[in-house]
Amino acid sequence: MANKKILIIEDDGDVRLGYHVRLKANNYDTFFAVDAIGSLREARANKPDLIVLDLGLPGGDGFVVMDRLKTNPQLAVIPIIVVSGRGGFANRTRAQEAGARAFFEKPVDNDELLEAIRKVLGGPVQLEKAEFLPGPKRRKVLL
Amino acid sequence: MKQKPLHVLLVEDNAGDARLLREMFGTEQPGSFQLTHLLRMSDAIIHLGKGGVDVLLLDMGLPDAHGLDTVRQAHAMAPDIPLIVLTGLDDEELAADAMKEGAQDYLIKGQIENRALPRALRHAIERHRMQTETDLIRTNQMQFKDEFLSHVSHELRSPLTAIYGFVTILLDQLAGDLNSNQREYLEIVLRNIKQLQSMINDLLEVTGIQTGKLQIELQRTSVSDAVEYTVDTLLASASAKGITLSSDVERVLPSVCADPTRLRQILVILVDNAIKFTPASGVVKVQARTLEKDPNFLTVEVSDSGCGISPDMTERIFERLVQATDPALAGRKGLGLGLYICKELVTRLGGRIWAKSVPGRGSVFCFTVPVFSLSNLLAPAFKREKLMGSPITLVVTEIGSQTGWLSDEVRAEQSRGVRDLLQRCFHSDLDILLPKMGSAGAVELFFIVAITDRIGGEAITKRIREQFDDFEHTQRAGLTLLTSYRSLEAIKRNTNEPMKDFLEKAATQIQELLNEEISLRMVTNG
Repeated sequence: MANKKILIIEDDGDVRLGYHVRLKANNYDTFFAVDAIGSLREARANKPDLIVLDLGLPGGDGFVVMDRLKTNPQLAVIPIIVVSGRGGFANRTRAQEAGARAFFEKPVDNDELLEAIRKVLGGPVQLEKAEFLPGPKRRKVLL
Repeated sequence: MKQKPLHVLLVEDNAGDARLLREMFGTEQPGSFQLTHLLRMSDAIIHLGKGGVDVLLLDMGLPDAHGLDTVRQAHAMAPDIPLIVLTGLDDEELAADAMKEGAQDYLIKGQIENRALPRALRHAIERHRMQTETDLIRTNQMQFKDEFLSHVSHELRSPLTAIYGFVTILLDQLAGDLNSNQREYLEIVLRNIKQLQSMINDLLEVTGIQTGKLQIELQRTSVSDAVEYTVDTLLASASAKGITLSSDVERVLPSVCADPTRLRQILVILVDNAIKFTPASGVVKVQARTLEKDPNFLTVEVSDSGCGISPDMTERIFERLVQATDPALAGRKGLGLGLYICKELVTRLGGRIWAKSVPGRGSVFCFTVPVFSLSNLLAPAFKREKLMGSPITLVVTEIGSQTGWLSDEVRAEQSRGVRDLLQRCFHSDLDILLPKMGSAGAVELFFIVAITDRIGGEAITKRIREQFDDFEHTQRAGLTLLTSYRSLEAIKRNTNEPMKDFLEKAATQIQELLNEEISLRMVTNG
């Protein structure tokens, strides 16, 4: 079976490379975009199975990216996991409302991210609510 | 250029005193002052509401307001208008108190020298302006500090993510094998990354607390679930240190009025602390039970067999940046914000937190959380300033999902149940609400209407609204209308969005509770 394709939208090069190494080791193929415009181009060109999205991006933030993806029926169905330095209740809620399947604050624990990816790619199963919760869940990552 | 006259509002019921003051204004240059003279506080409030007043001269003994109350009322109505109180000769102490309540100056009647009046007025205006300016500068500085901290904390997260990413890549040997020294050192790096991340999280939390951005959503919450979550989360780090982590929660615990996320956060901080401060083969235990002397609260305890805290520190440790500094406990680092965050959160949830300890024998951290009740849930709503202006909240909600015909007996039982419940719900808030509504008929003015069908709901709402409109006090106060029917619009005359959300959620919970109460009564009464 062919590897699943993941589009990483992240403007920090080092963070991008880190994701790439980790995801490749877990048999995922990765593509990258560093800004809002590139995101749409890459999504159209590569038809990823999943998108890992940062919120703080040049030329239109992650929410803009989500909005634009929604305008294209083919891209609108791609599940999105948000991993952002911008945490907080407001961003979390907004991401959830925009259709993100999970929300993590940076730095996200490797195992938690991989588990979320597996779950999302596993089918149309809704993620457990706990993954949208701030505070303790996030703390657990690194305590 | 000709200056605009200063609009002075004089509120004085004594004709003689008023005449004297008017004469003093009469000796001023024409066009420099414009005087409005009123006799009663209620008229003054209306006049202030219209705006345009530059300075207020207020007698502290009026037919409808007396003493400091006059200042409070005036200040509440027009906080931006400089205020000078007029007092009698023997009232200087009262005048000093008035200044604490927001008056800029006071004048003693009969002792006002020639020319002193315009000077006092101009001074009051100038003092008020300077005060406003200072306040603004201070607010801006605080805001800048908080924004700066928040920005820095966020920006630190990206490099931290890269460091974490690559350290774990090396540790998981995705880039080749490691020898044991390399592994050990990388684990030290990882431990410090975790430390740094936890500090950044704490910093963000504290800036959130200080800017009032802390989100608390009170709802019916289970303490046992929170305890279970915490133990599950931290079991691994406890066993890694050889510590036994256990919980003991009363089997039947009432639910509490809290924010489940915040409750878990408090517990995680406390238990994590306990683990940090407890040596290997120690014990950490979480307990929860109802408080014997006050059934309105649950108490949660986190006890450990660790190093303990000296008695003089048991209060101070909840302050910001304070840590129990014991050099023997090397290896623990942190900003000393965890317990401060706990205290802020517990306080915001309406509880109390404290510590008991015997050095060398361990510590116990206890906190209380209010047991769930509607008044607990709704109390913050009435304390919010925005709503204080319109203290009448009418909640129209639907009980039961029964459709079709109901016997009179059932209906009567329902309304009795609802009435009892509502009396219990709002009893504790009456002291906040009633003084604002005048004395006559105040109790009857405060309603929650529970009804079983939509048409009835609309009819009753309309009828109550009409009655409200007839009554002077309520007319002035306005009406917050909350209903579970979309067709009635969630809340009318209330443009305050957060309040709307809050009340909508409250309505849902009221509805659930009413349903529960009704079915309980049905069962009890056969």
